[in-house]
Amino acid sequence: MAIDQQKALLFGAAAAVRLLLFTAFPSLPNLLTGRVEISTPVTSFKRLQEGVFLYTHNVSPYDGGLYHQAPLLLPLFSLLPNPAYHPFATNVLYTIVDLLGANALMQIAETGQTVSSRLFTSPRKDLRWSSLAIGASFLFNPFTIATCIARPTSALTNLFVLIAMAKASQGASITFILALSFASYLSMHPILLFPPLLLLCYNMRVTKARTPPNPWAYTLSHVGGLALALVALLYTSALLTGSWEFLAATYGVRLLLPDLTPNVGLWWYFFTEMFDSFREFFLGVFWLHAASYVPGLTIRLRKQPLFVAITLTGIFAVFQPYPSIADATLYLSLVPLLRHLFPLMRYTFLASSAILYTSFLGPAFYYLWIYAGSGNANFFYAITLVWSLGLSIIIGDSLFAALRDELDVERPELRGKEVRRI
Amino acid sequence: MALISNLLALRRDPRILKLPPYLSALCIIVGVVWLLVLPLNEYSRNTYISENALLPGQVHTYFGGSEHNIFRAYRHEVAGLVGKPIEERSQRLGEIFKSSNLKVATQKYEYHASSRNVSGQNVYAVLQGPRADATEAIVLIAAWTNMDGEINHSGVALVLTLARYFKRWSLWSKDIIFLLAGDSTAGPQAWVDAYHDSHSPAAIDPLSIKSGALQGAVAIDYPAGPWGHRFDKLHVVYDGVNGQLPNLDLFNTAVSIASGQMGIGCTLQRMFQHDDSYQARLQTMLRGMISQGLGHASGPHSSFIPYHVDAITLQTVGDGWHDEMSLGRTLESLFRSLNNLLEHFHQSFFFYLLMQANRFVSIGTYLPSAMLLAVNFTITAIALWVASGRSDVPVANPASTSRSPAPKSEKAAGESEMTVLKTGSSIALIPTISLTITERHLFLPLTFIALTHFLALLPLYIFNNAPESLLDIAFNTTAVLTSILPTLAAYVLSIYHRPTQQEATLIQCFSLLLLGMFLSALATLNFSLSFLIGIFAAPLTFIRHIPLPTSPTSSILSKNRKPVSAVISLLLVAINPVIVIRAATLYWGKDIVEVLVQAAEGWHIFGLWTQVVVWLVWWPAWFAGGVVVARGMFS
Repeated sequence: MAIDQQKALLFGAAAAVRLLLFTAFPSLPNLLTGRVEISTPVTSFKRLQEGVFLYTHNVSPYDGGLYHQAPLLLPLFSLLPNPAYHPFATNVLYTIVDLLGANALMQIAETGQTVSSRLFTSPRKDLRWSSLAIGASFLFNPFTIATCIARPTSALTNLFVLIAMAKASQGASITFILALSFASYLSMHPILLFPPLLLLCYNMRVTKARTPPNPWAYTLSHVGGLALALVALLYTSALLTGSWEFLAATYGVRLLLPDLTPNVGLWWYFFTEMFDSFREFFLGVFWLHAASYVPGLTIRLRKQPLFVAITLTGIFAVFQPYPSIADATLYLSLVPLLRHLFPLMRYTFLASSAILYTSFLGPAFYYLWIYAGSGNANFFYAITLVWSLGLSIIIGDSLFAALRDELDVERPELRGKEVRRI
Repeated sequence: MALISNLLALRRDPRILKLPPYLSALCIIVGVVWLLVLPLNEYSRNTYISENALLPGQVHTYFGGSEHNIFRAYRHEVAGLVGKPIEERSQRLGEIFKSSNLKVATQKYEYHASSRNVSGQNVYAVLQGPRADATEAIVLIAAWTNMDGEINHSGVALVLTLARYFKRWSLWSKDIIFLLAGDSTAGPQAWVDAYHDSHSPAAIDPLSIKSGALQGAVAIDYPAGPWGHRFDKLHVVYDGVNGQLPNLDLFNTAVSIASGQMGIGCTLQRMFQHDDSYQARLQTMLRGMISQGLGHASGPHSSFIPYHVDAITLQTVGDGWHDEMSLGRTLESLFRSLNNLLEHFHQSFFFYLLMQANRFVSIGTYLPSAMLLAVNFTITAIALWVASGRSDVPVANPASTSRSPAPKSEKAAGESEMTVLKTGSSIALIPTISLTITERHLFLPLTFIALTHFLALLPLYIFNNAPESLLDIAFNTTAVLTSILPTLAAYVLSIYHRPTQQEATLIQCFSLLLLGMFLSALATLNFSLSFLIGIFAAPLTFIRHIPLPTSPTSSILSKNRKPVSAVISLLLVAINPVIVIRAATLYWGKDIVEVLVQAAEGWHIFGLWTQVVVWLVWWPAWFAGGVVVARGMFS
């Protein structure tokens, strides 16, 4: 009961902060929506409004070449009153999305799958934060709040990824499949989370069920389920828009990077500088690099599948073609689940300082480049490099800590001794 | 990786912990000395024109002869309008423009700040360049009153004359806009806002006629009365709002035309007697830095710069032999140069410090000094972070020569706890205490820092919105309140036995980390403001929470922690931002209310950010430092 009261208080406070910001600063949402750090061509709320306008006027939303988001978002947002005049409904929707995300995050924390799973129990398993603290760190993270106010559709992707993780760590197959298919349908890259989450789901099923299911049959049925759900979603989309052209406009844009609007990622600058003849090759290399983490991490850290999924969200925040701080906020809100690894991490101060510094220097340098005209693109790109460096330090450091944690179990005699990576 | 491992091993070295205060002090000293050597010949450069298209002073100027009679007539027309209602004045000025066959429009504006009303009317005319396609325009401005409130008789008359004169030339390849602003600050701001459609329509009229993208703007400030006045030098004013500067090429073009072609000397930053000595250069540079740091509007040109329109004001000063016609010819030549531009100003520097009309340093040379000041805070923050992870219990120095009194038996057990470390064949006995890493309690420090910043929003709001009559009381109350607030806060916290030694260290760590971060970001936007705040906040690096004396061998500071903390707290009051601002206004003999009204006007009219930096960056850092020290007064 006490927990529920605290939870209600936390959610109430978080909703109040968001709605207060929406109403007290009416120009803030539009300001943040225009920031390249939050809105990318594939998630921007402004472009979504453009798409909804075309859709409600019976023009194909993909004709303008501006809208690159999933078709099923259109009927949803066309049901809401026009946010230009009556923004309240949209604001409430995004607030609820954040609260549901926090709820899913707290469910993940309550299962304790990060510290002890079927095959591996950390020696520091008592070192963890309460689910309330983790929910609070998500809801009151300034990046999460900024994302909520700017209303990019990546907030929805984040919600579905969190639900998929929560359901997988509870062993609920169907909702897991559905949530992950929605996340993949909206943003494509979450499909790469399928292998570790499937492993997690399987682990839970084995611990719960008397007779463990056949792993091959289990895998096949889940792959089939995911494929079915995705096909259903895509087919509904095709029915809705009347053609299959949305595939090229949404996933094609994510894959082939035709829109080089600056963002906090590493791709845009690289591809603006590149000769066209190398473009296909490097697109292949960049995608291969981003995707190659999935099998590697899943195999090496198969005993801790939830940790793999968390690390992958961090890798997507750095290496996907159109990242924004919304992706970073997903990873940063999952990192508190790894509280037991903090004593083993070595560069926390360095990494958090880098992220802190860049979150102020980034807008300053963007201002110098775009508005003052006294800087240039290199200023902003240098800062996005440091931002990605900060995130990759956290990823690398937590990976080191997780491996060290496994080593402490496998080789107890090495505990407390310096190790060297070779 | 091996290198990092070695560096990681190095952090266990106790000598490393002793280093940061010296390193910080070194950063500050080098940063200040760096700035002081900039005026030397070896570190500064002569200015030069980067943009070849400008070709300054390469054309003959024909402004003269009968134009002089027209100028004198217009000057009397202008003098006749003094004291007339604004509507009538605008109408008459518009008629003069119309008689030169120019399109004319007017614009009303009205601002409210500190319960003051700033209102007026702009009159402007557009000359469509005979060779132009209305995509680009340059602006010639004369405000009705200048920054000192004098009526700009000759400036306005000169713009009217030049409008008539320019209209007859066929060589303009850009449109020329002649703007007669109602005053020197709000008028140009209203006009340039409306030109870019970013004005608030309730108080400011939109512009009925427009031209292309503005490429440059030149303002004239020539307040000689109807009978004229011969001037000695041109004073070039170039500071924009929030410390943004125009492209150096524009400044150089103006200087090279005025001094090279017309023989008019140029001065800057009110250094009317400049003997090119080190001292004069340094003084010019420092005046420029203070002006840039304050970020206020320094002339009609200032409002243009945030829109990426490079602009300067030419002001006549002194008694000499140059008359209005030489100023007119200077402007003619300057506009011929601007007319030559093929692209927007971009070649030369946007970040520079000028120390004479033809000497400057660029950002690459001066930026390290502000960055070093910012880095000093970061170094201390890192050191405090490391220190906060160490145990509070001091380790007795085994090699100490001072004989400590015989330890009590239970304490001896604690002190003799040793850990055996084996590395290869060598074995070492190390006190266990120096190996343990303590858990950091982050909640209180983080909440404290966040609350402090929120608290600072209060004075920011009050000073931006209070009516003028209350500003004096508000300022004095704030000065007293903020000065005693750290002691008060420390007392309240001490009732709950907080913050502990570690929490006090962490509060200081986070506050210095934020300060270093803000200042280094600010240094890229407004170098001078960052440097000035860095200097005044520098003592915050060296203050520490004085711990309770834990053993008889504790330092003399710990034993007298209460008086020492009280003395340091008193000294800290001297660098309270509010007190510093008060002292600065006394030093320059300014009225504090006037300064505050200007700041509020800046906030509401120009989008001035200086007070945000003072209240949200500087003050919280000072407050956190004050609380950490004052904590020592209460045990």
